[in-house]
Amino acid sequence: MAGEVIYEVKNVSKRYGSVVALDGASLKLHAGEVVGLVGDNGAGKSTLVKVLSGAHQPDGGQIFLDGQEVVWDSPRKALEHGVETLYQDSGLAPHLTVSQNVFLGREIVQKGFLGWLGFLNSKRMEREAHQDLEEVGIAVPASNRAVSQLSGGQRQAVAIGRAVAWAQKVIILDEPTNHLGARQAGEVLNIIRNAKAKGLGVIFISHTLPHVLEVTDRIVVLRLGRIVRDAPTSEFNGDTLIGTITGTIQTIKVEGD
Amino acid sequence: MTDSKQASSLVEKSPLKARISNLLGNQSVVLVITLVVLAAFFQWGSGGIFLQTDLLGTVMDQWGSYILLAVAQLFVVITGGIDLSVGSTVSLSSVVAGWFVVEQLKVGPEVTGQAALPYVLLIAVICLAVGLFVGLVNSFLINQLKIVPFIATLATMGASNGIAVMISVGQPLQGPNDWDLGTLWAIGDFTLPISTMVFITLVITTVVGLFLHKSRFGLYTYSLGSNPFATRGAGISVERQVIKVYMLSGGLAGLAGAYSYVRLGAGSNTSGMGMELYAIAAVVIGGASLMGGVGRIVGIALGTLVLFVVQSGLLTMTVVQVSPDLKQVIVAILIAAAVAVQTLRKSNRK
Repeated sequence: MAGEVIYEVKNVSKRYGSVVALDGASLKLHAGEVVGLVGDNGAGKSTLVKVLSGAHQPDGGQIFLDGQEVVWDSPRKALEHGVETLYQDSGLAPHLTVSQNVFLGREIVQKGFLGWLGFLNSKRMEREAHQDLEEVGIAVPASNRAVSQLSGGQRQAVAIGRAVAWAQKVIILDEPTNHLGARQAGEVLNIIRNAKAKGLGVIFISHTLPHVLEVTDRIVVLRLGRIVRDAPTSEFNGDTLIGTITGTIQTIKVEGD
Repeated sequence: MTDSKQASSLVEKSPLKARISNLLGNQSVVLVITLVVLAAFFQWGSGGIFLQTDLLGTVMDQWGSYILLAVAQLFVVITGGIDLSVGSTVSLSSVVAGWFVVEQLKVGPEVTGQAALPYVLLIAVICLAVGLFVGLVNSFLINQLKIVPFIATLATMGASNGIAVMISVGQPLQGPNDWDLGTLWAIGDFTLPISTMVFITLVITTVVGLFLHKSRFGLYTYSLGSNPFATRGAGISVERQVIKVYMLSGGLAGLAGAYSYVRLGAGSNTSGMGMELYAIAAVVIGGASLMGGVGRIVGIALGTLVLFVVQSGLLTMTVVQVSPDLKQVIVAILIAAAVAVQTLRKSNRK
C-alpha cells in the first residue's frame, strides 16, 4: 500500500532559549501514507511542523527528502521541493480572491514585457484555480471572490485544496479540521484520502482524535519533545491513544526500522 | 472517490447579492457622488465662481502636490503600516536638490524657462534619490531593528526635518526653474484647469496604480497587509516586500518634493510640513483601511480631490464666511466621517 520512504527526519532537536521543544525526534513518511502527529499542548508538534516545513531550522539532526539530505533555510525552499504546509488558522489572505490565494507565491504572469514587469494573468489563474480545486474534490463558488466572503468551512477547503493542488511529494496539515462542523470535517478527511491516493505523503496534525483514528495509517505520539510511540493506527483505540498522549500508558521507545 | 458533487456543502449560492452590495459599497461611487454634491454646493455658496477654470486649476494644483504623497501612503497603509515621514521627505528632498544646484553648481533663480529644464530634471532625480534613501532607512528600521512602522517613520520624520533645516539654514534655496511647468494649459482661448506638473503626477499615479492592481508587486502588497503569516507561508519574502513598499513610498514622496520645488522655485525646509496628515486623510477618505489589505488607487485619487475641493470651496464661500483657520478642523471632521462611514458599511455587510 504505502510506497518508498519519501520524507524523513532523523534525531532533530530544537531549543528556544532554555526550553527544549524537540529532543531527538525521528520520523519517517512513505509515499501514499497518512501519518497522524498527536500530542498534548507543548509536546512539540508545532515545532516539528515548523522544522518539517522549513519555517524553523533545527539545532541538530537531519532531514531527508527522497533519500537525499536537505536543508530548509526558508519555507520557500521546502515549497520548491514539493513539501506543502497548511498552517493552523493562517493559511489564507482574506482580502485576496480565491484564485489569488491559490496562486500566491506562484503567480502566472502575462507573456512578454508585461510579464517581465510582473503583470499578472488573472483570467488564467482564475480558471486554473477553479480546475485545481475541483480536481482535489472542492467546488468553490467563484474563484474571483474575496476569501473574506466565504464561510469558515469554505475557507478551510480552499486552504487545503491549495496545499493539495500544489504538493508534489509531501503535505503537512496542521489542525485542518479545527472549527469545522462534522460534515465539513468529513469532507476535509476525504480530501486527505484523495491526496493519499495521488501518492502524496500526508502528515496530519490534530487534537480531534477520532479524525486521526479515522484517516491515518500510522500514528506518531509526541510528549515533551520526544516521540514516545510510533505505530500503525490499527494498534490504537481512543482510550489507548489518549493514554499514550497523556503518559498514563507507559511506552517503549520508538518502534520501527 | 470523492468528486466535486460530494463536496457540495462547501459550495454557496450565486454571489449576485454580494455583488450588488459590493457595488453600493464601492468607495469610488460614493466619492463621485460626494464630489458632485460638494461642487454644486460650493457653486451656489460662492455665488457662481467655484466652477471656474482658475479656481479648479488651483484645486488641481493642490491635488497634484498631494496625490503622490497620498499614493505613497496608500501602498504603506495597504501593508498595514503607516509612513509618517512622507511630509518631511518632501522638505528634505527639495532642500538637498536645491542645495546641490544652488550651492554646488552655483545656478540661481535667474535661470528660467527652457534653459532651466535640465536643472529641473536633475532636481527631480536628486529628489527621487533622497526619497528612495529615506524609504530604505525606514525599511531597515522596520526589518532589521523590528521597530513598528509608526515609530520607525516618526524617527525618520524628525531626522529628515532636522537635516533639512541644517542644510538650508532655515532659508529657502532659490534656484533655476521653468515656471511654465506649473501654468495652466491653454488651447487657443480656452484654458484647461491642468498644468504640465499636474499632468505628470496624473501619469505617475496611473502607472503606479496599474502596478498596484495588476502586478505581482501589488498583489504581495495586499497579501502582506491581509495576512503576513500566509504571505510568508507562501514562500514570499516579507522583508523584501517591506523594502520595496517603503522605498516606493519614499521615492514618490521625493517626487512630491520635486513638485514642491517647481511650485516654489526653491527648496524649502518647511515645504512638506504637515503634509503627511493630509496624505493619511486622503487615504482614509479614499476608502483604505489602516488595518491593511484594503484600498484602491481610484478611491485615493478621488479622496484627495474631495479634500481639496472642500478646502478651496470653503475659502470661496460668500454666502457664509469661513475662516481659513477652520480648514484643519474641517479636515479632521472629514477623516472622522470617512472612518465612521467605513465602519458602518462594514457592519451593514455582515
